[in-house]
Amino acid sequence: MDIVAQLKSTELAGGVFTSMIVMLIMIILAIYIGIRAHFHDPLKKPKGILLIAEMGVTFFEDFAEGLLGKRFRIFGGYLMAIGVYLFLAFIFGLTGLPSPMTTLSVPLSLGLSTFILIHATAAKYNKIRYFKRYVEPLPFFLPVNLISMWAPLLSLTLRLFGNALSGFVIMNIVYYALQNLSAMVFAAIEAPLNEVFIAPFIAWILHLYFDLFSGFIQTTVFLSLTTIYVGQETPDELLD
Amino acid sequence: MEVAMKYLAIAITMLAVMPSAIGEGLVVSHAVDGIARNPDVYKKLRTTMILGCSLVETTAIYALLIAILLLFVAK
Repeated sequence: MDIVAQLKSTELAGGVFTSMIVMLIMIILAIYIGIRAHFHDPLKKPKGILLIAEMGVTFFEDFAEGLLGKRFRIFGGYLMAIGVYLFLAFIFGLTGLPSPMTTLSVPLSLGLSTFILIHATAAKYNKIRYFKRYVEPLPFFLPVNLISMWAPLLSLTLRLFGNALSGFVIMNIVYYALQNLSAMVFAAIEAPLNEVFIAPFIAWILHLYFDLFSGFIQTTVFLSLTTIYVGQETPDELLD
Repeated sequence: MEVAMKYLAIAITMLAVMPSAIGEGLVVSHAVDGIARNPDVYKKLRTTMILGCSLVETTAIYALLIAILLLFVAK
């Protein structure tokens, strides 16, 4: 296989690799659900995965409508894509491979897409007044405003990265300690085999917290922050 | 000596966790006050409380991130 040899020779970070796997899972799911939805009789009740997908779409559209107003119902698509990707990426740590979020470029690109969305929305609704924010309250404040403009990007990126990386590092430390403990307790068995006995009984509790719970919370926080930041930029008369 | 200074720097960085923990305690204590006053809002308040907690926690996570970077990346 030519592709496999090529992939092996490239020096990609582990997180980018697993991010590609997550995206592949999402693409396959999207195509499958799309085909199912295309051939489904709209008068009948949806079943199985189609039902879950429809519930998800309704949930995210209601989420966008509740925070932004009726006109932004279409915004649910972006939220659902980001939300499903984030949650899958966080719980990908359960497989034992590094979660995509542990490589800085993955959360950075997520933060960047939200950042661009915020400024595109602001420019769309404020037209030329968009540039006024950089010289407020005085033209003298221009450098300060130009620097503080990047604060949402930094906070969104580092929140995801810090959360995933701290969980990953703590899990690695715990695994290392449990390996050594197991090697000490089961010293009678020969060397490489005696390291695997204690970790499976203890580590799963921590995985439950650091991957599932933390991932769920961070997904919620990221989505809420995205909608709040975007909602700040939209004029109030659209919010009814 | 330099290794000792590195660990001292990590210790100073992790001091930022303390105010974050105090803030998180304030969030939870006010949430509990609200629930005690009006037990019906428990479900609504729980979601908001967890969201607020994780927002406050961010400061501590930044400190932990910097500590990890100091520990593994800084020479």
